Amino acid sequence: MRVEKLDEPVRVRADFAGGQATPVVFRRGTQSLKIARVNARWEDRVGQKPLYYFACSVDSGDVYELCLNAHELTWRLTSVMLDG
Amino acid sequence: MGEVLHLDIDAFFASVEQARDPRLKGRPVIVGNGVIASCSYEARRFGLKAGMSLVEARQRCPQAVILDGCQATYHAFAERVWAKLAELTPDLDVALDEAYGDLGGTERLHGDIASRARALQEEIAAVTGGVTVTIGIAPNRMLAKLVGKTVKPAGVLRLAAADADAFLIDRPARDVPGVGHVNGRRLEALNVHTVRDLRRLPLEALTALFGAIGALLHERARGRDTRVVSAREIPGSISRETAFHRPTADPVELDAMRHYLAERACRAARALGLKPRTIGLRLRYADGAFVEGQKTPPLPTALDPEVHAVTDALLARLFTRRVRLTHVGIVLSRFVALDAAQLDLLACAGDDRAHRLVEGVDAVRDRYGHASLVSGRSLPLLGQLAQDRNGFVLRTPSLTK
Repeated sequence: MRVEKLDEPVRVRADFAGGQATPVVFRRGTQSLKIARVNARWEDRVGQKPLYYFACSVDSGDVYELCLNAHELTWRLTSVMLDG
Repeated sequence: MGEVLHLDIDAFFASVEQARDPRLKGRPVIVGNGVIASCSYEARRFGLKAGMSLVEARQRCPQAVILDGCQATYHAFAERVWAKLAELTPDLDVALDEAYGDLGGTERLHGDIASRARALQEEIAAVTGGVTVTIGIAPNRMLAKLVGKTVKPAGVLRLAAADADAFLIDRPARDVPGVGHVNGRRLEALNVHTVRDLRRLPLEALTALFGAIGALLHERARGRDTRVVSAREIPGSISRETAFHRPTADPVELDAMRHYLAERACRAARALGLKPRTIGLRLRYADGAFVEGQKTPPLPTALDPEVHAVTDALLARLFTRRVRLTHVGIVLSRFVALDAAQLDLLACAGDDRAHRLVEGVDAVRDRYGHASLVSGRSLPLLGQLAQDRNGFVLRTPSLTK
């Protein structure tokens, strides 16, 4: 198991039902990755700007960490945990 | 009589990693860099424990998954846990991975508190993706923590006041909060193994053997702990230590790291409203030799420049060999309250400016993270070490709660 730290802007389709964001699918390069499960979510902040983090499993089993900057409404891919 | 709840997050950092990646569930997981900061219960079955070197951990458990971890994420998870706990009682005292809550006056609100605690465990698991906690409930802080220890992990146990004596009497004396490793060994040497043995020692003997803490042990051996939950526990010491990424004798790197660690320790002391009487420096040479020194300045201080001056003198005294260093640490101890120290009649206006400066710096860092400001003497670390909002990412951060 290895973790790759990243800091890439990504396009994310998310569901905002129930007053909370839930990423559904994101695009990395030419690849579209469907989120099979949001394993955990947590919040951090920089100053007064909230950052929402999501640890998401995709169909391959790899876990991607996405970050939503709620102030700028931008998403970033911050890490990926790969098997092997 | 009131009740106190003690909540401890089980194998905290490792549990968070297992929550983030379900593939890690059921597998031995280690979080740490150089040494184990936290390991899962699956790893503990191989004899692994916090503080053990990763070299030894790999030998004992080659299949373990080893992760560097991320302090900011762990703090965020802990905040979620404390927010849930605050729904049970607003009177909390939280530390890194444990918290006390005063349940006094909430009896009619919660009904059977043990059932409510079990529901709280489920709620916490739901908001954290499966992190488990252990809860002890007892008439005071000390007993609540001790009770929780007996049902780890993921347990709940309530101890009624009437059962406290029977619970406590045959527990190991070293488990009594306040005994610690050093005093625990001294008690073993005196053939004092259980609380029952400890009770046989009169107050005078305990005071003669252990000084001021003797009176505390006398009380706690009888299950008495009068600390209120909201009162901050005064730590015996606050340390900030780390290993270098590679052994170094570079005075600039050494100076920068030492000042960074001293800043962190001083900020932690100020946050608790404390200033240390004694300031210590620890060094480990590349050949394994360990040296430690301490100094007590004329007046207690938690001001960065004054602590730096003391550690400068200690470094000159301790770093005498032409061997590179692998580890440096700052230890603050023998605390007094920030507002309770004796005033220096000769203090000048500059001291007030220094106080206002650190207050301002602390306020900025509280709001924007420690990394938002880097002091001049720590600047050489910029570009050398990665940063997150909690500061530089150290190789083996070691901190007291």
